[in-house]
Amino acid sequence: MIQVTGLTKHYRAPKKAPGLAGSLRSLWRREWETVKAVDGVSFSIAPGERVGFLGPNGAGKTTTLKMLSGLLVPTAGEVVVAGHRPTGRAPAFLRRITLVMGQKQQLLWDLPARETFELNRALFDIPRAGFQATLAELTDLLELEALLDRPVRNLSLGERMKCELVAALLHRPDVLFLDEPTIGLDVRMQVVVRRFVEQWNRRTGATVLLTSHYMADIAALCPRVIVIAGGRLRFDGPLAALVAEHANDRRVVVRTLREPTPEELAAAAPLALEDGALTALVPAGAVKDTVDRALRALPVADLTVEEPPLEDVIARLFAADGAADGAGRASPA
Amino acid sequence: MTSAAPPAPAGPGLAPDDLGSWRHLLRATPTLMRVATAGMVAYRAELLIWFLTASLPVVMMLVWDRVAEEAPVGRFDQASMAFYFLAVLVVRQLGGSWVIWELNHAIRTGALSPALLRPINPLVVYGADSVAEKPMRVVLLVPLVLAVWAWRPEMTLPVGPGGLALAVVSLALGWLLNLLVQVAFGCLAFFFTQSLGLFGVWFGLWALLSGYLFPLELLPGGLRALVHWLPFRATLGVPVEILTGGLRGADAWAGVALQVAWVVVAWAVAAFAWRRGVRHHEAVGA
Repeated sequence: MIQVTGLTKHYRAPKKAPGLAGSLRSLWRREWETVKAVDGVSFSIAPGERVGFLGPNGAGKTTTLKMLSGLLVPTAGEVVVAGHRPTGRAPAFLRRITLVMGQKQQLLWDLPARETFELNRALFDIPRAGFQATLAELTDLLELEALLDRPVRNLSLGERMKCELVAALLHRPDVLFLDEPTIGLDVRMQVVVRRFVEQWNRRTGATVLLTSHYMADIAALCPRVIVIAGGRLRFDGPLAALVAEHANDRRVVVRTLREPTPEELAAAAPLALEDGALTALVPAGAVKDTVDRALRALPVADLTVEEPPLEDVIARLFAADGAADGAGRASPA
Repeated sequence: MTSAAPPAPAGPGLAPDDLGSWRHLLRATPTLMRVATAGMVAYRAELLIWFLTASLPVVMMLVWDRVAEEAPVGRFDQASMAFYFLAVLVVRQLGGSWVIWELNHAIRTGALSPALLRPINPLVVYGADSVAEKPMRVVLLVPLVLAVWAWRPEMTLPVGPGGLALAVVSLALGWLLNLLVQVAFGCLAFFFTQSLGLFGVWFGLWALLSGYLFPLELLPGGLRALVHWLPFRATLGVPVEILTGGLRGADAWAGVALQVAWVVVAWAVAAFAWRRGVRHHEAVGA
């Protein structure tokens, strides 16, 4: 459904030395640098797949989604989405995709959401009967019947996102590009959006490419993840493989019957007090030793060994990539 | 999959194919108008303020009424001068476009991106917005027109049904020209932040040279001949002159032909600016 080969996007950005002298010099002679936002990324996504698109801020995720939806033209590379080249945004292509941006809205601010839905019906030329059926299905799934006639400005952030999803899906696109759809939402609403995306994917077989900074979104929705950092592809595969590859550490957490003495604490190192429990992040191979030491040295009430949170795994992956990349992304033009 | 992909289109513009198929457009128009009208009703307080800002002709009517008190100015006595500015008021309100503000806002805030992902060109939606606000402006105009007529009951409509019909066509052309000029200026927001400032320069010239502040036939001969051919008059002066009897018969048709010519030029410029602007947007993002 999505075929991306050598996708590249380079920007030319003005470069200015700091201070007044730098400002004056840039007035006279402006220097430019090339920013490699996306640098030769290739992947393909099969129909009906749900794929998480991960990367630190500035990694090139949104730039990639914009190229896949036709809003940005690649500097180089080949993109085919649902049998179309996105560049130029042909109407036949736009009818098969949607892009939901958590930080930008398409809803008409001072009108009830129903008016935006009607507008989209006309703009996408959706037959009336099909429109009514899809709207009923979506409002039922998202439980927002009562909100349809309320001005958008009077809706909460979560309610607005539900309406954004409806507006984006009325034309029943085959490909959903979701760029941080849960940003700013409370935990309950994040779960609602997540469940909805999964249900919609199962019902319609739509392909989903999702970016999110909330790893819970990715863990709940995406069997497969693509990681980019510094504009380059870093990982493409099952989420479990990503965790196994980059999560060699385990978190050992020990709760004690009473407050341990300084001597007991010293004997239980590297366990240290953190949020009312003794915890340590140790390599998988050192778990046994750490547990043995804790059981010997401490009055243990409870002991758990956890895989590190997905956030930690990703943060470490990004940190390693950032260190490897350094400032290599920008080059003088 | 790659081999099945059709060649990429040349990019969006203002040609019929780019605007969406005509049949699709026709089907969509009632809904676009209805939703735009709902928007106008939601923004009724703002519309009243916009209406008042475009009501300078009422002030000019009072100023020129004093000037014409002693003796007629050109062909204008007090009644015909009042009718001239009443016509200016009506043409300004019904033939005006304020799309540059929406376009500028959409480009600068990134709101244009979702609009570009719909199969009908966003400019069509802006055009529908502009048309949809007209009934509301008519509602606001009616009491004002009646008040002026009560103030100068000797005013008469100097044109027959044919002239009136041609004035309506001319008004529509003036509106389209205004819209296209604003699209062209609005597209400058793709490239730099001062598009509204540049439009301010255009507006200053327009106010002086369109017939908005005074009848252009009061200008001295050489300047009048020059202003006659400029686009400013084509947006407002021509329909006002037809409505007030200043242009009749073949002259009126020549005025409309001038408007058509400027619409063609403005369409080409707006299409070029839009195409280049969107291309820039596609290159650097928003």
